[in-house]
Amino acid sequence: MEHQHRLKDIINFLPDATWTIDTTGTVIAWNRAVEELTGVKAESIIGKDNFEYSVPFYGDRRPILVDIAITPNQEQERQYESFSREGDTVEAEIFIPHFRAGGVYLWAKARRLLDAAGNVTGAIETVRDITELKRMQEVMIQTEKMVMVGGLAAGMAHEINNPLGAILQHAQNIERRVSADIPANLKAAAEVGVSLDLVRAYLQKRGIFDFIGHIRSAGMRASEIISNMLHFSRRNDSVAESVELSALLDRVLELAGTDYDMKKKCGFSRIELQRDYAPDLPHVQMVVSEIEQVLLNILKNAAQAMADPAMPRLPRIMLRTGMSEGVAQIEICDNGPGMVEATRLRVFEPFFTTKDVGVGTGLGLSVAYAIVTKGHSGSIDVKSRAGEGSCFTVKLPLQGRK
Amino acid sequence: MMDNADIRILLVDDDQMIRDCVTAYLEDEGFTVHSAASAEEALESIVSISPAVCISDMRLPGMDGEEFISTACRLCPAAGYMLHTGIVYSLSDELRAIGMTADDVLLKPIHDLSKLVDKIKRMAASGRCV
Repeated sequence: MEHQHRLKDIINFLPDATWTIDTTGTVIAWNRAVEELTGVKAESIIGKDNFEYSVPFYGDRRPILVDIAITPNQEQERQYESFSREGDTVEAEIFIPHFRAGGVYLWAKARRLLDAAGNVTGAIETVRDITELKRMQEVMIQTEKMVMVGGLAAGMAHEINNPLGAILQHAQNIERRVSADIPANLKAAAEVGVSLDLVRAYLQKRGIFDFIGHIRSAGMRASEIISNMLHFSRRNDSVAESVELSALLDRVLELAGTDYDMKKKCGFSRIELQRDYAPDLPHVQMVVSEIEQVLLNILKNAAQAMADPAMPRLPRIMLRTGMSEGVAQIEICDNGPGMVEATRLRVFEPFFTTKDVGVGTGLGLSVAYAIVTKGHSGSIDVKSRAGEGSCFTVKLPLQGRK
Repeated sequence: MMDNADIRILLVDDDQMIRDCVTAYLEDEGFTVHSAASAEEALESIVSISPAVCISDMRLPGMDGEEFISTACRLCPAAGYMLHTGIVYSLSDELRAIGMTADDVLLKPIHDLSKLVDKIKRMAASGRCV
């Protein structure tokens, strides 16, 4: 009895959520850390079988790692983000989207329990919440990618801008050299015995002026991409201003409402806008045009995601501002289709897009990321649930941009 | 009103493609355009050309655009100077000291050369570099 009591003290002391089952799947120990993690008290679960312990995690009864430690189960093993088995011990990582708001990453380890004769008597599992660690890893990976793309962008910009300049400018030169306004054109036409008017009429009839126009607009589009990519490699020289967030958000909403793409392709006016601005927020130092670009990009993505007329509910965007620990916060949440975790993890990655070719370059959110993190010492992240919506949070230190 | 033909421009860029297309446009506008492929080459001729406006690439073989403009300004203070650059650039203290502003920095690629023409005309009329 004394021995049992001491064991119970030991297991309760362990900082990681830990429990054990016997070979019938009945819970025989449930420590304090797992009580805290799941909210389920030991007295209400000890003695219960039929996968009772999976309910607080998954919301249903299913074999989990502790069962796999006793009996391998390939189907369940495949559901983990990572799984490994070494001797009697199994280890896994899993993301459980519904465990808590925003989901939770768990690392788990389980092992068969044997008696002195080597017979299996049950199994023990221990679980650790590694959500914070995972988020930090995400940020680190993201930062590294940005540094890499930044270097690439600066090099590319230099190599591509000259040929791009030649394309754009020679297209303009071609237009000018068939114009009747320039005496040298008239002179050259007379020398070779043609009328400039006829040359122009021919070019017009064959659509050549349109082609030249297309060359110029294509060149400008490419140039836009290059200049966006340069956000990854530098902080620009723009002057920061002190800005009131509510006014900024209202102006961005107005911009979004007049943007051609937003109006025509995304039906921005159909979207119900809810504003929940905290009163009396201190002003934030920022490069206004850049933060406007960030917010517009987020709104544009939300609107595009909700553009499907078959969307089961009224499209809505909620804008909220707030402040905590000297950092201003802007939240933009939609009730659109949301994202699966694999997409969510990559949304800030340069050139990652789920949109059709020509609709998105995959730069919008990565540029937003660079502007907020590099340019304003802030942070940006996104929470999402497939089928329910996405929520972007932009955090800006009041003096993040001097 | 100054006639464009009276406005001499010196264009410095190591990329012949850029020299060709900018020169073609500016000549069509009636300007007198000289070009050089390096800062060193431009410094040899700048005094005799005596341009109203000098446009230099930033990244050049040998002396870069920044140093070129500082040097050229001493040789030819009557000219106005513009820096043409592929990446966003903040003006050095030296260039600010000779009166250059962010407005005198041209980002590559120039989408519309008619805007450059406007700038050249303005610059030729005011004639700076102190």
